[in-house]
Amino acid sequence: MIYNWKKIVKTGFPILTFAVLIEIFAGSILQNNQNIIFVFPIFLLSIPVLNSVSGNIGIILGARLASGLHVGYITAKVDDKRMHENLFTAIVLGLVTYTILAIIIYFGAVFSNLNKGIELTEFVGIFVSTGFLLICLVALSSIFAAFISFKRGLDPDDMVAPVVTTVGDILGISFLFLMISIFGVGI
Amino acid sequence: MFVKEMVKQSLPLLILCGLGAVVAGSILGLMNAPDPESNLFIRIPGLIVVIPAIIAMRGNISSAFGSRLGSAYHLGVIDVDNLWNKELNENIFGSFVLSLLTSTFIGILAYITSFILGVYPNPFLIISIVVVSGLISGIVLNILTIGIIYIVFKRGYDPDNITGPALATFGDIITILCIYTSILLLGGLI
Repeated sequence: MIYNWKKIVKTGFPILTFAVLIEIFAGSILQNNQNIIFVFPIFLLSIPVLNSVSGNIGIILGARLASGLHVGYITAKVDDKRMHENLFTAIVLGLVTYTILAIIIYFGAVFSNLNKGIELTEFVGIFVSTGFLLICLVALSSIFAAFISFKRGLDPDDMVAPVVTTVGDILGISFLFLMISIFGVGI
Repeated sequence: MFVKEMVKQSLPLLILCGLGAVVAGSILGLMNAPDPESNLFIRIPGLIVVIPAIIAMRGNISSAFGSRLGSAYHLGVIDVDNLWNKELNENIFGSFVLSLLTSTFIGILAYITSFILGVYPNPFLIISIVVVSGLISGIVLNILTIGIIYIVFKRGYDPDNITGPALATFGDIITILCIYTSILLLGGLI
């Protein structure tokens, strides 16, 4: 027997507790920016998309690293070649996905009358720059979480997802409102 | 080669998941109605604060579950002919206990946070919304996870490239729907 429910709970619960604490903080940022969300609903639509893509890519990366570490074709070192190939692919994958989705969201919002006074270039600019910053940091935290947990003898599969999605959620929401103010929307 | 393989297997699913996230966002949009009378975030103070936490909990637990099953597959512990075994049962039970513990924790935390933020929600309502939506979505997602894993095995894909995104996305939509449902169920208490 490899898996044991008590071990799963023991590994999972502390990190989930930590994740939940940070997510409540992310929720507070949303609460503070409720006016922007109320006036520009397109950004409320964007939040799950930004977070989902960065979370997904971080999880793909983490799961690949975890399997590699378990089987032994990846070593937990900064200069591991397969790790770098994975990191590079993750960032490329992120940029392509964000650009396609930004255009889809914009026209979806225009079509359903949700968009008020935001240009296509402005929205794509805000969305993709938020996404790029986000994907770089999320990919790095994924590698960091996988390597550290593996070195400590914990299963990276239990650790990567919480770390990656939490980092992604808080940074995604923060970077989005940062980019909105840099681009000067709503002022 | 593997860059190409990773992009080929992941990109379509990532786009699909992104579209799923748009659906998830649209349900949030329904809750964020332009009319303050029917805007749930205005009617239930503290609700917008717990939403990221509930969604994250759900996504985390099911993604870790999917990711573990991916490694189990690489290690040869489970496969398409030997899916429902003791190892899978331990994984299911573990993620269910985690859901219950974490939902309760979020509920209590939301109650405490409401005081710090100076919002004064109905603590009973907020805690019930979190626990009820956490449990309903947990049950639905555990069933869905096993279904996805089965299909992925059948097709012979690498589960690491598929299960995480698929679960996180279905998880988000299902979780937001469950939050909405539990608000409707508990609506008499508002």
